[in-house]
Amino acid sequence: MVSPTINLRDTVILIADSSSYLSMLVHSILRGFGATKILEVRDSISVLQVLNNQKFDVLLFDTRLPPYGGLKLTHAIRRKVDNENRMMPILLMSSDTRETAIRRARDAGANMVIAKPISPASLYDRLSWVALTPRQFIDAPTYFGPDRRFKIEGYPNGVGRRKGDKMVEVAQESGPALAQGDIDNLFSAARMGKD
Amino acid sequence: MGETDDRVRIFPVETRFQQLARRPGGIPRDKALEQAQSKIDEAKPAFDDWLNQQLEALVGAVKRAQTASADAEWVKTADRYCRQLRDVGSTMDFELLTFIAGSLSEMLEAIIAGAECDMESIQCHIDALLLARQKSYRGVKPEQVPELISGLRRVVEQVSTLPP
Repeated sequence: MVSPTINLRDTVILIADSSSYLSMLVHSILRGFGATKILEVRDSISVLQVLNNQKFDVLLFDTRLPPYGGLKLTHAIRRKVDNENRMMPILLMSSDTRETAIRRARDAGANMVIAKPISPASLYDRLSWVALTPRQFIDAPTYFGPDRRFKIEGYPNGVGRRKGDKMVEVAQESGPALAQGDIDNLFSAARMGKD
Repeated sequence: MGETDDRVRIFPVETRFQQLARRPGGIPRDKALEQAQSKIDEAKPAFDDWLNQQLEALVGAVKRAQTASADAEWVKTADRYCRQLRDVGSTMDFELLTFIAGSLSEMLEAIIAGAECDMESIQCHIDALLLARQKSYRGVKPEQVPELISGLRRVVEQVSTLPP
């Protein structure tokens, strides 16, 4: 099997995490992958400011990015109609990998969730997946983002129906943390039309 | 497409990231991981200093909790330091440190959510963190110290129970 190869040279990447040390590590890992244009910010207000002035190719946020949190920030970016970054890949970095947390990230419009602590392999593989796997976008009254059709239950083979689909109730936080492979499965289910 | 809701639009997207990433001349995965690991290794000498600073700050936050003027913010401060330790420990080969910091963070977040604060259990975790930061524990996995891990798990299970 041939390993994926991605070219990150000249891609403009934004890392947003309140921890300068973690941010530096992610920055270093991306440099190792060949990325040359990386910007770091520490809070979601700064994210919104830089997005107003610059176009990015990939956004990497912490889910707990102060003060709004990465989920609200992702949602805001996706919903802002005049934002030229609204379709950019958004990868959320999270240490909370319980299933409900991953579902919330999906529903906010994230392309992927990367479990913290981050390893070079997990980051490279998720970037490769986003880069090499085409994914449709959905523009609906209550959602804008990568296709997450797996959220809708109750129709055969995940094909077609949207109008009147029942939303899945998200339970209170419970259950064990998911491994990165399980997190990926929740996302890959999107392409398979099941969840 | 099979869509029946005309308020929903489904469309293909090819982002600039996808276009750029697919260009020839990229770094193959194995080489990219090797280079990334080298970059992480370059950061390791400074990690010890950072780790000591974080632990000192965490210990300081917990000590403040025991003073008469302590306010509720100490838990959030301690939790923030804990999460930072947890989030980078494994990347820097301190997997045990990540586990202990994660366990303490779980307990602190339960306290923030209303669970009773048990300083003895917190101190127990801090002692474990001070042990795990030693270079001799670099590369040690939690399963290699089962007694320590099961002890911490018991503490967390008892302490993290929220009041009814």
